[in-house]
Amino acid sequence: MLKKRLKTLCSVLVLIVVTGGLTGSLAGTFTQDKAPESSNQDPEKSVEKVENEDAKTEEGAWKRFNDRIDGYFKKINDGIKLVLFYEVFGKEEKTVETDGAATNLEDVRKLLDKLKETGIDTVETDLTLTLPYGTFKNLSKKERKDKLKKMVIDFRKEFNKGSRAFTIAINTKDKSKNVTTLKGKRNGVPAAVLWLVLGSIFFTFRMGFINFRGFRHAVMVTAGKYDNPDDEGEVSHFQALSAALSATVGLGNIAGVAVAISIGGPGATVWMIVAGFLGMSSKFTECMLGQKFREVRPDGQVMGGAMFYLSRGLKQVGLGPLGFILAIVFAILCVGGSLAGGNAFQVNQSLGALKVAIPDLKGYEWIYGLIMTGLVGVVIIGGIKRIASTAEKIVPAMCGIYVLAGMAIILKNYDKIGDAIQTILESALTPAAGYGAFFGVLALGFQRAAFSNEAGVGSAAIAHSAAKTEYPVREGIVALLEPFIDTIVICTMTALVIVITGAYQNPEYASHIFGDEGAALTSKAMDAEIPNFKYLLSVAVILFAFSTMISWSYYGERCWVYLFGDQSSLSYKILFLIFVFLGSIVSAKQVLGFGDIMILAMAVPNILGVIFLTNMVKRDLDDYWAKYKSGEIKPFQKKS
Amino acid sequence: MSWAPKNKIVVPVDFSGESESAIRTALEMVEDPANVQLIHVLFPLDVISPGVVWGEVSEESREEAVKESFDKFLSEWNISGVSVNICFGDPGLEIAEFAEKINADLIVIPSHGYHGMKRFTLGSVAERVIRHANCSVLVLRRSDAD
Repeated sequence: MLKKRLKTLCSVLVLIVVTGGLTGSLAGTFTQDKAPESSNQDPEKSVEKVENEDAKTEEGAWKRFNDRIDGYFKKINDGIKLVLFYEVFGKEEKTVETDGAATNLEDVRKLLDKLKETGIDTVETDLTLTLPYGTFKNLSKKERKDKLKKMVIDFRKEFNKGSRAFTIAINTKDKSKNVTTLKGKRNGVPAAVLWLVLGSIFFTFRMGFINFRGFRHAVMVTAGKYDNPDDEGEVSHFQALSAALSATVGLGNIAGVAVAISIGGPGATVWMIVAGFLGMSSKFTECMLGQKFREVRPDGQVMGGAMFYLSRGLKQVGLGPLGFILAIVFAILCVGGSLAGGNAFQVNQSLGALKVAIPDLKGYEWIYGLIMTGLVGVVIIGGIKRIASTAEKIVPAMCGIYVLAGMAIILKNYDKIGDAIQTILESALTPAAGYGAFFGVLALGFQRAAFSNEAGVGSAAIAHSAAKTEYPVREGIVALLEPFIDTIVICTMTALVIVITGAYQNPEYASHIFGDEGAALTSKAMDAEIPNFKYLLSVAVILFAFSTMISWSYYGERCWVYLFGDQSSLSYKILFLIFVFLGSIVSAKQVLGFGDIMILAMAVPNILGVIFLTNMVKRDLDDYWAKYKSGEIKPFQKKS
Repeated sequence: MSWAPKNKIVVPVDFSGESESAIRTALEMVEDPANVQLIHVLFPLDVISPGVVWGEVSEESREEAVKESFDKFLSEWNISGVSVNICFGDPGLEIAEFAEKINADLIVIPSHGYHGMKRFTLGSVAERVIRHANCSVLVLRRSDAD
């Protein structure tokens, strides 16, 4: 059996190595500088277009290959964004213009005054300065890039003390137009995020604040006080929670949070914590359902998760056809989520942190991609159990080290704690620009929290359904600890470090801030406080990424198998490995976008289905709770 | 294929009601129930499942569980005297290989009668058995299949 598996793995690896090697050798020949910083500053990609024109002549095939893949990701992202990320309210956009190229501070100041006159608040909006095509045309590519970078840093210092993005672009669309425009844009609340927020509020009220009242019981159950080894299932409560946590604790906690604070300001922290708290109720509801509607196979293995409770559960309440559709949609999106947020994003961001420790890696990202592909392949196709178990079991220790390091940094800066908390609260509750911006920051906090703790997304139910228990409610209660540990403890730690050290507004880190390179930002912020911490963080980050990828590959594979049958598992695993490699070469911005979309999209069918099942969950919860309170349910005692 | 009593018949079992009628059909064809060889094929262990990474799930534990499932299934339907086998791998291939190994005269297999999308994606174990088997294969149609 093992021989057969290793043979399959070898052929897959050879395939990936050949493609990787081909592109890699091109990289070795042509790559000078991947992902130019200035391109990340431009949402409309105009600067990148200028770069691309140069790339055709200067850098050649590798760069074009990268850009093309990046381009495809962008197209997919934009397409799905149009529907799911339709900004429901709070969106506002205004543009002003002036003749000629406004390249000095005085000109831009005048433009900003003009923008203020239009009525849009310029403190909390993203600003984009678009220069005419001919600007800096006589400079070489490198000089132009340096110049743009310097301008961004200078302008940010002058106009943008907070955290809103300031972008400089060059107009390549209309080359003859000799005017500079300044656009102010405030983002609204994306529909999918609003759905997630409303869902978690609904579950919190409907379940009577189970996130609060169930906490103590959750700790006791996880500690093993109620474990009966004879119950049907695969793992204990503690093991199921660990398995689910290994999927959730990943780069979302380190990179995602840093991104949220750098673009949304310190106030995003508060909303992340609130989202974590409300998310505990969503998690309870979905994981309880995962247990209730799981399928135990003749070999004792368990199949469960959102696709099962959506199809079986809704059938039970007379909504069979809806359940069937939601289950299929969920499974498709979960496969997408596992390839994006659970895979490419993890590779991409861990690479970012590693590049802080080993700067020479720049230009050779594909090597990291190949190594990761090999390691993941050895586990998921090669079937080497020990690597998966070891990596997954080191992760809790790494979490501990990360939290301790965060606490050390906070204590070291004890004099700044008061100010930091004040800044966080002030910017969360009294944003300068009124309600529109208030909802913008709120949405960002929720989005990042959901990306990290997966509450409302439905994925964790797959892992929790494996637990041995007599009462599905009990596993749901255990699951509510997940957003607590992931978001309220670990994410908050990252947030406090970023705010206390001021990394989110440090002009030196501008390229990371604008490039959505969150892990790199956290790494630099922590390294500045604890010398050489970047090396330890790189190891931690790689392990987080690896274990999250392994866990998510399981989620994705379960959904794939749900759609295409048990025998199709290998084709999914090959696809998964291809995305590991892609994650190392696509830009952070597109990978983050793709991951976000897929994972948030899963919440749409999941929450919709769960809402129809809440009465059932509430009934079971009340029943269990009454038994628990009356003492009918007691901690498990071995029969003597 | 003659209708004379058979020496050895292989019946793949997935613990469904259809499996039970296949066993009954096979039992009618043999003199000694021990000549009916039941087989259940398990997919290879997925090393990334929580039960394997965190718990104690292994190929042995799964085999043990399937044995228990067989006991439960057979006593539920009041069947006794048949032989039970468990294999790992691709069901279609393993069933055909097993039949060849024990020199079986016949494989009796129920068909779930999937159509459309489900047939396309799930394929059919029966179809694969027919393709790979060296002996005769009797496919039982489900009464409600169209």
